[in-house]
Order: sequence, then structure tokens, then C-alpha cells
Amino acid sequence: MPPNSVPNTLEIVNLRKVFGSKAGGVVAVNDVSFSIARGEVLGLVGESGSGKSTIARLIAHLYSPTGGQIHLSGQPVPHKLGGAALRKFRRHVQMIFQDPYASLNPLHPVRYTLSRPLKIHGLAEKNIDAQIGSLLERVGLAPASTYINKRSFELSGGQRQRVGIARALAASPDLILADEPTSALDVSIRLDVMNLMLDLKDQEGLSMLFITHDLAGARYMSDRIAVLYAGTLVEIGPAIEVIDRPQHPYTQLLKSAAPKPDAGLVPEEIAARGEVPDLKTLPPGCPFEPRCPHAMSECKDGLPKMYGLGNGHTARCILHDPAIVAKRSAVGAGS
Amino acid sequence: MTAVIPGAIPIPRRAWKNTSLGRFFRNPRSVFGAGLLLIFVLMGLFAPVLTPYSPSSLEFDAFMPFSAAHPLGTTALGQDILAQFLYGARLTLLVGAVAGLLATFLSVAFGLAAAYFGGWVDEAINTLINVFLVLPGLPLIIVAAAFIRGGGVWPVIVVIGFTGWAFGARVLRSQALALRERDFIAAAAVSGEGPLRIIFVEMLPNMAGLIAANFFGAALYAVLSEAGLSFIGVGDVSLVTWGTMLYWAQAKGALLQGAWWWVALPGLSIALLGTSFALLNFAVDEISNPKLGGGRLKMPRRTQAAPIAAPVAGDALLSIKELSVGYLTPTGVVRAVREVSLDVQPGELLGLAGESGCGKSTLAFAATRLLDPPGAVLGGSVRLAQHDLLALSPEELRKVRWKEFSIVFQASMSVLNPVLKIREQVYDAMQAHGVTDKAKLDARARELFDLVGIQMQYLDAYPHQLSGGMKQRVVIAIALALEPKLIVMDEPTTALDVVVQRQILQEINAVRKRLGISIIFITHDLSLLVEMSDRVAIMYAGEVVELAPAHQLYAHPAHPYTQQLMNSFPPMTGPRTRRSGIPGKPPSLSAEIVGCPFFERCTKRMPGVCDVKPLQTFTVAENQTAACFLYDPTVPSEIKDSAIRSSQTPQPEVSREPAHTIN
Repeated sequence: MPPNSVPNTLEIVNLRKVFGSKAGGVVAVNDVSFSIARGEVLGLVGESGSGKSTIARLIAHLYSPTGGQIHLSGQPVPHKLGGAALRKFRRHVQMIFQDPYASLNPLHPVRYTLSRPLKIHGLAEKNIDAQIGSLLERVGLAPASTYINKRSFELSGGQRQRVGIARALAASPDLILADEPTSALDVSIRLDVMNLMLDLKDQEGLSMLFITHDLAGARYMSDRIAVLYAGTLVEIGPAIEVIDRPQHPYTQLLKSAAPKPDAGLVPEEIAARGEVPDLKTLPPGCPFEPRCPHAMSECKDGLPKMYGLGNGHTARCILHDPAIVAKRSAVGAGS
Repeated sequence: MTAVIPGAIPIPRRAWKNTSLGRFFRNPRSVFGAGLLLIFVLMGLFAPVLTPYSPSSLEFDAFMPFSAAHPLGTTALGQDILAQFLYGARLTLLVGAVAGLLATFLSVAFGLAAAYFGGWVDEAINTLINVFLVLPGLPLIIVAAAFIRGGGVWPVIVVIGFTGWAFGARVLRSQALALRERDFIAAAAVSGEGPLRIIFVEMLPNMAGLIAANFFGAALYAVLSEAGLSFIGVGDVSLVTWGTMLYWAQAKGALLQGAWWWVALPGLSIALLGTSFALLNFAVDEISNPKLGGGRLKMPRRTQAAPIAAPVAGDALLSIKELSVGYLTPTGVVRAVREVSLDVQPGELLGLAGESGCGKSTLAFAATRLLDPPGAVLGGSVRLAQHDLLALSPEELRKVRWKEFSIVFQASMSVLNPVLKIREQVYDAMQAHGVTDKAKLDARARELFDLVGIQMQYLDAYPHQLSGGMKQRVVIAIALALEPKLIVMDEPTTALDVVVQRQILQEINAVRKRLGISIIFITHDLSLLVEMSDRVAIMYAGEVVELAPAHQLYAHPAHPYTQQLMNSFPPMTGPRTRRSGIPGKPPSLSAEIVGCPFFERCTKRMPGVCDVKPLQTFTVAENQTAACFLYDPTVPSEIKDSAIRSSQTPQPEVSREPAHTIN
């Protein structure tokens, strides 16, 4: 980051979370670092158990980190927050949840759900209904009067998720953490919810962490994409680069396994090599080594570093280590 | 031919009787329980009107018989029994209500605090709960009451309240723990809500039913405890309650003197009051948890379809004809599948795609006779090889299932019994169909595991030792065990990660080709389906709106819904451009749909045609049909052209908000 520029909205450095006791603990998030610039969407991709939701909940302070730092707009966020400081923090970081059927209290009408963040953060004006109305209209629920008195069971899945987005917007946050916001929705309404979030980013300069297991969706939404495997960041870079030319074998596997609506009718055959490992029994080196088609003895020598590939694209794989590349080409030439 | 008459099923509006209060008054248990309680309350309230005597005056002769002055005679101490009984209701009810409230309050406070704060608070409270649960109740009360003997009614209430909360606290704690995991609690926390507000505004109201049920349970406990305490003389026997009446009747030998009613009246009343509380407890529980109350809706009989003819030319393996399926709800019938006809050829993989609520799973469940109430087949027929599936008796069905067809569900991993070894579960279906030879069973199990790509060592594992993908493979192996001709797979890989999904799909495809079985593959993921199916059927609002070979559907989707749906998947390659989804939502399936169900959301709709004519299916190309009037030869081509032209201009606004959601 060049000096004197606008600080990144979010900067996490070696973020770590261990669940359970220290001896038998499970490392759910293993020293993950990334940043999100103002007005940027970072897609966070991974399979279940990769730690992507845990990262969101760490940033949202629903869990407290075991190690590492979180900086919000250049300010460090303490690991322990409470009372007024926590409330103040919440104003800046809001979250959109996966399942809009579960994330709205079935007993409260939309008005109540949206009035709370305004009141808690002291943003409520005299005519709070007008404020709620404009929030609803910003998320495409117009006319607001149709929706303001409804309770969640009277709304469709897409409408509920829009209410969830409106709740996240109410406090005018700097950062929105969207945890699989479309995966519980029907295909036909996913795009419109994604478009809404893109519009909000474009018009209001919001920064977003967009968590998903759907590569195509991540490519559609994100400026940059980060790929997680077993709690470890394995690849990060510009969205198009990461999806079109994945540089980590795991990202390549994910891409070949994903359904490709536009790739014709011939599915790619993938090498069947096991499943995501148990976080308790991770190998000492690269976590992907047991499944990797390119695995070699050096992969067991400890966690590889992130190798820069230019254009902000990095991958945690020794295939990009110049020494290994030289060695492999020598072997290749010799055989 | 079916006799399903559209609109024949009355669809009552959601009325007050479907509110909780309405259901309370229609539930026989709650009405009877509340009625009993009301009688006792009125007795207590109007005691001074109903009897001229004080319950404690000793002015009469002992053991007087029934008379006009003393309808129930007098006690050994010369008190009027009717007066004692009526006034006794007051204190008995007071103890029940107040001790019940106190115990409920403590249950709620401890249960919620334990669940919300967790950690050491939870551990401490849990230990306390366990201690109170382990201590035998009545002896504890006796010991406690012994210290406060003769102090009036309040010490009794306090003692009962403080000893009766633990069970409720445990129940409420587990309910609150479940609630705490819900996303809306996390959402409230992220909004900045404090703990008190989260507990009292977000969590507590969602537990109201359970708390009310808990109160009646605690009140029952309180009334019985008071009676027990008084009867053995530990309470304050100078008070007039039904319990002390029993005590005195016992002490003064009422039965020996022939005054049996002195015992029977309070005894029976305590039992009835207890019954009333217990009924209210059940009723409130049932109302707040509708899952407990099901199964009382009347099932309509399936309208008789035409007799199944012998297998016709074309020889489809499975032939579904005009199948209609509905869910019977208190508000009317939700017609989830609407006269769907579909054939599956031998060896074919038929993909069934559609969004949630389109009826794809209902169709599969109904066709395989797995539909549970409130679902019911309303008409149509299903023929598998030579069997009329819907007409089979349960015994015949049992023989056909697994041997002729089998089913794999989305959540089928939870179908595996956690305490049985995988081997036994694989053997199970084969043994049920007569294979008993151990060597044969073992050989077949190995063969199956080889087919679906699982290592043999897992045969002797327990389900929890397997990953989700492995478990789903086991379930597929079991489905293959008896070499059925057809397997219905309902979202078999949706719960799995993409890589595992891809591996399993490859295996399914290989097995199918090797064994020549037919598969109906149901999923919402159209892009997956076109890759692997022979033919794809697209469902929308209970109808099959398009049916075509996969490559044809992919290259030339005919129905606007299919076209728009395919466009709803962001691409994995090429430049990034904004795409739009399909605004709006499907129509309510509990209402009659006139014309095309997709009309509201269609970009190529033809007003005056699509929303007027009864839906029909048209042939678009060889082997491709679509339920769309764009392919209706009787519709003038200028109307079609202008509809298609208008779809190419920017998205038309969805003018009307579609019908209300089904609740």
C-alpha cells in the first residue's frame, strides 16, 4: 500500500483460530492474511470445513481470534471487545447470512428488524418509517409500504434475503461480510441478489467479503478471489486470473469439478483422489499434498510460502518455486 | 384418463381458526382441560355464594349425614364438608398457580442464562440442575417443609417452587441452546444488540409455547406435592386445602365412619385438577409444535385411473400418466404436481430439474409410493415394467421395492443406522429379499463397493467413521444391491462439496452404463444436469414445462423459463457482463392457475393468450416438447413475433406482484 493513500477497509494479518483445548485443538483458520480495499469485493472460495465462515465470524467479532491482527480502515481491532466499544465496532462491520429463512426472527416484522440497527447506533431520525422505507427501496423492495409490516414467513426467499441485506446496510457500514448469501436461494433469483450487491458496491463504495463455494458466482461478483483449503489460504489474485488460469493444484481441481454451464456437454474427468482431510490429522507440509496430482517429497517439508506470480496473483505451491521448476525441468530433460 | 376436476378442491381462506388461539379452542384436549380448570376456579371464586358456612367453623355435630343444610354432611370435627371443599379449591389453586409460576420463572431464568452465557455459567447451572434432578423430590420437600412447619401457605409455595424448577430448566436450556445457534441470534448480535435484549426480545418469545406448557407441568407438580405434603401432615394442616382435607379425613377415620365422600371428593378433585393441567400442558405443546399434531387430515381417495394396459409399444420402463399430487393443509390443498406424464426408457438417465417447490421431489416420492401424509396422490397412474405401482398392496410393494426400483435421497447419509456396521446395512436389503448365504452376501457386498469406489475395509466400519461422500456412496451401493431396473436419485449430491460431487457423479454414470439401469436424477442444478443426462425434464409450478434430449435442451432451449434459467448461471469463462435472473416468484400452488404458470415472470409472454388458454404441451422439434404457446400453431405468428421482439428490448418490468406465498 503506497503511503498517504486511503487505507484498506480491512486488513487481516496471520489470523488464526483454534477451536477446543490447546493440546487437542483444531486449527480452523491457519495464519490467513489478506486485505480488502475500499469499494472492492473479495471472493473467499472453499469447500465446507475450509474455514471461510469462521473467518467471517472472526472479522465480525462473533468469535475472538486465537492469534493475528485485524485492522479496520487502518485501525487495529483488539481481540477482546465489549460494551460500547463492541457496539461502535459493529457499526462498521455488518454481515449477511446464508439462510434468509434462519437469519430473520420469525416473530418480528420487517419494521422492527430494520429499526433496531438504526436505534442501536443512534442513527434513527424522527421519521424512522421513512428511513426504513428508503432502506427497503435501496434493496429493491418497492413500494416499501408493501413490506414494512410483513413478517419473514410472509416473504419469499429472495425478499427475505433483501431484508437481510437492508439490515446490514442500515448502520451504513464500511465492510459487509456476506456468508454464502445466495446459496440458499433458488437459481433464478440468485443473480438478482448478486446484482443488488454489485450495485451497492458500485454506487456506495462498499467493501465486501463474498464467501461462496461456487466458483462461477465468485467470478461474477468479485474483484479478487482468495481460495482456502483446510484453513489455509492457498491462492489469491484478480478474479478472472484465478478462475481462468488457476495456479494452485487445488484451485485447478475445484475448477475442473465445478459444473460449467457454458462449457458444452462434455464433463471434465477429474482424478478421484480423496476428500477434504480431517482438520485434526493434517499433514505436516502442504495440506493438499495427499490429494495433489503433482505431489513430491518436497511438499512434506513444511507449509509452502506464497509465491508471487505477478499482477497481485500469488499461490502457495512449490511448483512456482524457481529451484523446484529448475529441478523438474532437469529431470524432465533427463528422462 | 383421470377425474381430477380443476377447482374441485375447496381452498378456504386462512381464518382465525388457524391462529394459535383458534387451534387451542379446536383441540379437544385443551378444551376439556380448560373447562375443568374453569369449573374449579369458579368454585373457589364463588365459594361464599355457594355455601353460607365458613370452612373452619367447628359449630356443627360430627359426621352429620347429607341434609338440606349440609348437602355433604360434616366432618369429624364438625365442619361443613361442602364449605371445606369449595374453600379448599382456593388454596389448592393458589398453590398450583403461584408455585407453578415460581418454578417456571426459575426454569426460564436458569435455562436461558445457561444457554446464553455458556462456558462456566452453563456448567455451574447444569450441575445445579443435575443435583436437583437426582435428589428425590418429595423427601426433599419434606425435609425443607419440616423447618417451616405451621407457617401458613407461603412457605409451602416457596418450598415447592424451589424444588420443582429443575426439569423445566433442563428442557428450556436445550431449547434455548438450539435457538442460540440460529442465524437470527447471530444477526442480532452483529447488529449490535446487547445480551439482555437478545435473550428477552429475540429468544424468549420464540419459546413462549414451551414456557406455557412448562407452567402447566409445574402447576401439576405443585398441586400434587401440596396434596402429598398435607396428607402426611408436613404442611400447615390448619389451612383448608384439598390436601389437608385428606389429612383430616384419614386422621379421623372417615372411611371407618362411612363418610367415604370426605375422602373421595378432595381426592378425585386433585386428580381432576392434575388431569386438567396435564391436558393443558400437552395441548399447548402440541399447538406450539405443529409437528406433534399431524395425521388427522382426511386423505382423499385417489381418483380411479383407467386400468393399466399391457406394456405398450415403445416399452418405457417407467410410465407416469397424468399424475396429480397434493398436500392437504388446514388451509386447503396445495397442488404440487399437476397431471404430469413422463416416460423413462430402459437404461436412460432422465434429469428432472426445477427450483424449490416446483414439485420435482413430490413427483418422485409419489411415483415411488413414498409420499407421506399430508401428501396424497389425487389422480393418475404409474406403471413400472408390468406393475401398477399405485395399486400395489403394501406387501406387493415391499417385494417390488429394492428389487425393481430403489431410491437415494439428498439426506440419505442420515439413513444409515449409526450403531450398525456398514456390512450389516448392506446385507439388510438383500436378506429381506431372500439372500441369506453369508458367502454370497459378502461377495455381493465387495462387488458393490468396488462399483461405487469404496475400499473394502469400510465394510466393517461404522457410519461415523466415514466422510459424507463415503456415506453417500454406501447408500448408492445399497440401492444397487438387488440390481433394480430403476433408481430414483433425489438431489443425491447437493449436500456434498463440488469435488466429491463430481467424483460420485462419474461413478453413478459408469455404473449405469455398466449395468444398463435407468436413473431419474433430480436436482435444482440445471448446469450439472445437462452434462450428465440423456433427457432433461424441466418442472415449474407442478408442471413439466419442457422435455428434451440434454444436448437439444442445452443448444436450443424452447421454453422461456428454460432459457431464462440457463441464463441465470454466471459463466465460468469469457468476459464478465451483467446478467439478470428471473424476477418474481412462482405462483401459489394452492390457488387455481389459469393459463401458463410462468406468465407473470415470462419475458416473452403474450397477454390474451398465455393467461387465458388452458396450458397445453406442444411439440417443438423431434423428441422436444414445451408447454408454451409460442409453439401453438393456432396462435397467430404476429402475436408471437411481437412477444419475442419485446423480450429483446430491456427487461419488461414485472407489473404485478405475484400471488401470495404459501405459508
